[in-house]
Amino acid sequence: MIDRLYYFIMVPMVYLAVAWCLIGIAAKIVRLLKAPQHPTTLQIFPETKTPLLAALVDTFTLPTVREHRPLLWFFLMTFHVAFVLLIVAHLDLIPQLSIVSGASHHMIGHGAVGVALTVSVLYLLFRRFRAPVRELSVPSDYILLLLLFCLFLTGDVISWANSWGQNGFVLSKQDFGAYLNGLVKFTFQDPSEVLSGGHYTVIAVHVLLANLFLMILPFSKIMHSFFALPLNALRRA
Amino acid sequence: MEENQKKELLELFADKLTRAARLYLDNCTRCGVCIEACHVYQSMPETRYTAVSRAQNIRRLYEKYFKLSGKIAPWWNEAVELDDAWMDRVWETAYTCTGCRRCMTFCPFGIDTGLIQSIAKLLLIGSDREPKVLTMLADVSISKGRNIEATKKSFAQAVRNLEAEVIEKWRSEGGEEAVPLDVQGADVLYVALAGKHSIVPAAAIMNAAGEKWSLSYFEAVNFGAFVGNPKKTKEIAQRIIDEAERLKVKEVAICECGTAYRVMKHMTGKHSFNVITFVELIARYLREGRIKLDKSKIDARITYHDPCQIARQGGIYEEPRYILKHLTDDFVDLQSNRRASYCCGGGGGLVIMGDKEFRMKSAKVKVDEVKATGATILATACENCHSQLSDLMEYYGLETKVQFVSGLVADALVQETASRKVPAATSEEPQLQLTAKAG
Amino acid sequence: MSAHAVAKVLDLKGLPCPMPVVKMSQEINSVKVGEIIEVHTTDPGSLADFPAWADTTGNEVLETKQREGSIQIFVKRLK
Repeated sequence: MIDRLYYFIMVPMVYLAVAWCLIGIAAKIVRLLKAPQHPTTLQIFPETKTPLLAALVDTFTLPTVREHRPLLWFFLMTFHVAFVLLIVAHLDLIPQLSIVSGASHHMIGHGAVGVALTVSVLYLLFRRFRAPVRELSVPSDYILLLLLFCLFLTGDVISWANSWGQNGFVLSKQDFGAYLNGLVKFTFQDPSEVLSGGHYTVIAVHVLLANLFLMILPFSKIMHSFFALPLNALRRA
Repeated sequence: MEENQKKELLELFADKLTRAARLYLDNCTRCGVCIEACHVYQSMPETRYTAVSRAQNIRRLYEKYFKLSGKIAPWWNEAVELDDAWMDRVWETAYTCTGCRRCMTFCPFGIDTGLIQSIAKLLLIGSDREPKVLTMLADVSISKGRNIEATKKSFAQAVRNLEAEVIEKWRSEGGEEAVPLDVQGADVLYVALAGKHSIVPAAAIMNAAGEKWSLSYFEAVNFGAFVGNPKKTKEIAQRIIDEAERLKVKEVAICECGTAYRVMKHMTGKHSFNVITFVELIARYLREGRIKLDKSKIDARITYHDPCQIARQGGIYEEPRYILKHLTDDFVDLQSNRRASYCCGGGGGLVIMGDKEFRMKSAKVKVDEVKATGATILATACENCHSQLSDLMEYYGLETKVQFVSGLVADALVQETASRKVPAATSEEPQLQLTAKAG
Repeated sequence: MSAHAVAKVLDLKGLPCPMPVVKMSQEINSVKVGEIIEVHTTDPGSLADFPAWADTTGNEVLETKQREGSIQIFVKRLK
């Protein structure tokens, strides 16, 4: 029974979650594009000659946060940069994409990316428990951060505990690659065949949390990852 | 709240859901960076006086009625019912905020609380809960525009009666009207307020610069914008646009009234004429040497309050400072200035609404900054700010005098300029003529 | 001189925009229906403001007089 559950999480649910996520994001974007444009400018002065460039800088370097909340800025930048690296590192696992040399048994960052994310997400979570941010927060704010924390923690377990075995790696980058290769090629192969050993449960939990994250994403504030740029462009132009 | 009314209100809400509004309502992460942005929070640190809390009052309704998550799991983002009790929160969003948009310079996404506030204001109008004084003023404004022909003659007479005061500040040449009306092909249509303080100094300055100008029959202020009624805002602005087009003017200069400028410049589309603030015009005259100012007239330290509607919302930061530096060598900026300037606390109609206690307490941060400069003159370029700042100085017992930039300039005009030298012998004539006419 | 029997005189000279009309709105309730308020102002805009206000609120401007430096407006409370 548990094997069938693991299989569902590791294969069909991944497809469902990705499809759900992509459709949800597309629906959100379509709905937004269908809404009428605002009739007046929402710009804040002074003007810049290159509003798009300024909006890009605003989006990717968070200058207003740096100015008013330097510590939050540090963790936000750590979090977001590490998140991008995390996506790259996961894509790197797919043999067809292999971004860096396939020789290493480690994921990109050797586990440091995950730790950076875990620490920064903990900071983001803990600051929510303090006034006045606590008074502004709604359940989804905590739940999303908690979900991310659990997701990152299981990821850390996988990437760190992975190399604790006496014989070196329990599971290597190449093993994960084999699992993802099966997913990419729609082989519907049971992943437990390529991801052997005691870590399989942790991996299943990790994938379950990732699936949940993908399913919630289009309907949550995490959509700011797509809309931060157009938002900043409104302020700039 | 009756179902019918709720339905109507939700339709009003839906009409406001532009792309920008949806972006603002969907993406706030409640990071709290905006908390300290608000002058009200700075003066009275309660969470409800933060930009994010005000926005949440509307966002939680949006969640309930316009989002899937609010329908499936209302607890997720704390979706709320639209009912009579919640309308009190909607009121807080609309009228504890002055729409200064300082918070927009804190938010990492640049979420515009002003836009969210406009939804709140519309819901209040729709449920007949808006401040009646603001609606009354908007209605008076509209009625005035419709009956303008009936009052044109007496307005012209009243303007003639002001000419002697204009001439006191600047001697006009013989045969010229000190306050011209209905000038076809004028370069500048000056749109003033009802009060003579917004006509007399401006007229003297434009006459000194030898401007070909005309005074508008209409007042600049737009109460439709204060109450948040887009239809009335447009109707009030349209008659100035019509007048400018009829006279074929090149520029419309808006008197020192922030809302009037923002509405005309940024909220009424493109025009056949250029829209400027009167301080821009003064700065231009100074740059071009068309007027000269006597620095010895003012022996005081001057500071300047940036009116939100012409500064953050209009980009007029340097012109007033340029002018003031022609009036004194002792100009000091407030600690938070230009883009970072705190609101005076009277914006968004608050100065008219009557809750003086809130207005005074919520703007303490401004008073503290004025005090720290040691300035004895606090200049500004907005009628609304002027009223509020004057009340503040009195309430907190400061000696600092609040003055319009135009008023300071008019009092310091050097009578003999290169462009217009008026012979002493003839300078008396217009005064005599006009006094006779006025009597 | 005015032939109106004035119940109250309001000095609204030099007030910032839009206080003359706001004050008028408040003060109209301090006289009885049928009584007259005499307003003194210096604002040229009042000449259009007060008739428009009266129109909107259902009151009546009986007469407007102009002298140099001052405007007198007589308003009758109708409701």
